[in-house]
Amino acid sequence: MKRLSIPAVIVLILALVVAIGSQTFLGACVHEDGSFGPCHWAARALLGEGCLAAALALLALFVEQARLGLYLASALNAVLGLLTPGTLIAICGMDTMRCRMVMKPAMTVLWVLMLAAAAAGCAMEYRRAKRG
Amino acid sequence: MKLSQLPLKNLTRRPGRTAALMLLTAFLALSVFGGSVVVDALRGGLASLEARLGADIIVMPAEAESKVSFKNLLLQGTAGAYYLDASALERVREVEGVGQAAPQTFLASLKADCCAVKVQIIGIDPATDFTVKPWIEQSYRRELQDMDVVVGCRVNADVGEDLRIYDLNTHVVARLAETGTGFDTAVYCNMATMNTLLKAAEDKGVTHRITSDGEEVVSAIYVKVAEGYDVGKVCNALNGHVRKATAVKAKSMLTGVADSLTGVSRTVALLIGAVWALAIVILLIAYAMMINERRREFAVLRLLGASRWRLGGLMLKEAALTSLGGGVLGVALAALLVFPFTTLIESSLGLPYLAPAPGRVLLLALATILATLLIGALASAWAAYRLSRSDPGNALREGA
Repeated sequence: MKRLSIPAVIVLILALVVAIGSQTFLGACVHEDGSFGPCHWAARALLGEGCLAAALALLALFVEQARLGLYLASALNAVLGLLTPGTLIAICGMDTMRCRMVMKPAMTVLWVLMLAAAAAGCAMEYRRAKRG
Repeated sequence: MKLSQLPLKNLTRRPGRTAALMLLTAFLALSVFGGSVVVDALRGGLASLEARLGADIIVMPAEAESKVSFKNLLLQGTAGAYYLDASALERVREVEGVGQAAPQTFLASLKADCCAVKVQIIGIDPATDFTVKPWIEQSYRRELQDMDVVVGCRVNADVGEDLRIYDLNTHVVARLAETGTGFDTAVYCNMATMNTLLKAAEDKGVTHRITSDGEEVVSAIYVKVAEGYDVGKVCNALNGHVRKATAVKAKSMLTGVADSLTGVSRTVALLIGAVWALAIVILLIAYAMMINERRREFAVLRLLGASRWRLGGLMLKEAALTSLGGGVLGVALAALLVFPFTTLIESSLGLPYLAPAPGRVLLLALATILATLLIGALASAWAAYRLSRSDPGNALREGA
């Protein structure tokens, strides 16, 4: 029987919140005239990274032998996600804009938690592998 | 293995139990640290607003409250404008007891391209100003030239850049320090620049004229009462003397903010108290259950020669380690939840919010971890006392 990996479940839940949230309740600014700001593209990138994190977590749940590598990939993806809004892709300048006030801080919290869960998963799998 | 290594071994061998205890103490630390930082930031914001306001009385157009609340303008930086004829300034200066009177003119910018939102532009008279000028001087010591602007820390423009307002280029010469109030989203300029911008705004259809020929307008007059005069009496005199204007005591405006702040602080304190009471009861039960579960283990240690004090010490050390871990985790989680959301908290509360300085944050974090350690030690001390009173022989027989 497969061992249930708690960090993988946590990463999966957080990844789904990133993917869905970045397009809905934690999304970028909505302009009155329907035009896009740069934060729109940051939100699109977050959708992709969230989906990738969810896929890695699903694989970690079902493929026991590859868990260590999958957690490492999840941790690196979390670092990429952390850097996406604001560093890799520009977002709006004013602090009071929705992307700065809601999207970026929420994504920071979610990716940091995902990084911590993936790191815990790595540590657990490494110890298990060492024990044989 | 040494007996001193036993607590750490016990904790690592039972990760589920250790994690549960750590999460409980982490929850305690999270509520205390998060709550303390928010309350501290609100207090800092109120102090900063008091310092920034700097006037005893503010004279504004009677229509100001109905157009855009002056309080919202101060606290949240809501952009808006209302005007008085500039002759009101002379009328204010005529009133006995008025020491200094400084005019300010407001103008709300239009929304510009991609990211820009409306910003409040505030024109000051550097020759008479005593409210904003000392604050500007902290960042920029030279005289403000025509078309020079100084921006609040939350305005998206850097020093040296041009800021386009009503299709005119203004030059950003300085950025102001954070105040946690609506002043952070405003742009400041001298009256000559303001008059140019008012004309440009009028060309775009944003009217500000009071009369058909009047171009000289002011939005608010800040008054410092001369020594020996009563602020209330001067305020009443101003209300009687200056037509179409309302004089408001700055302190009465701040009282409303202070009342809201007291309400929020009380709610936060109540919530923290409830969390602590609940967590202490749960910790007491958790340690009591743990002792019960481990009676045989402790009985064996007693028979091997460990004194009652030594066993109590072991228990305390285990509790201290879990509390320390939980405290650090809780503080880290609270920091992760509170600091990135500073702007959102400020805008949701509608109160001045100035995040505490790093040194103060560190102090609050250390105090929280210390309090968590103390609570963990106290909860386990009761369990350790009960353990020291039990007979090891009975414990072993019961388990047989």
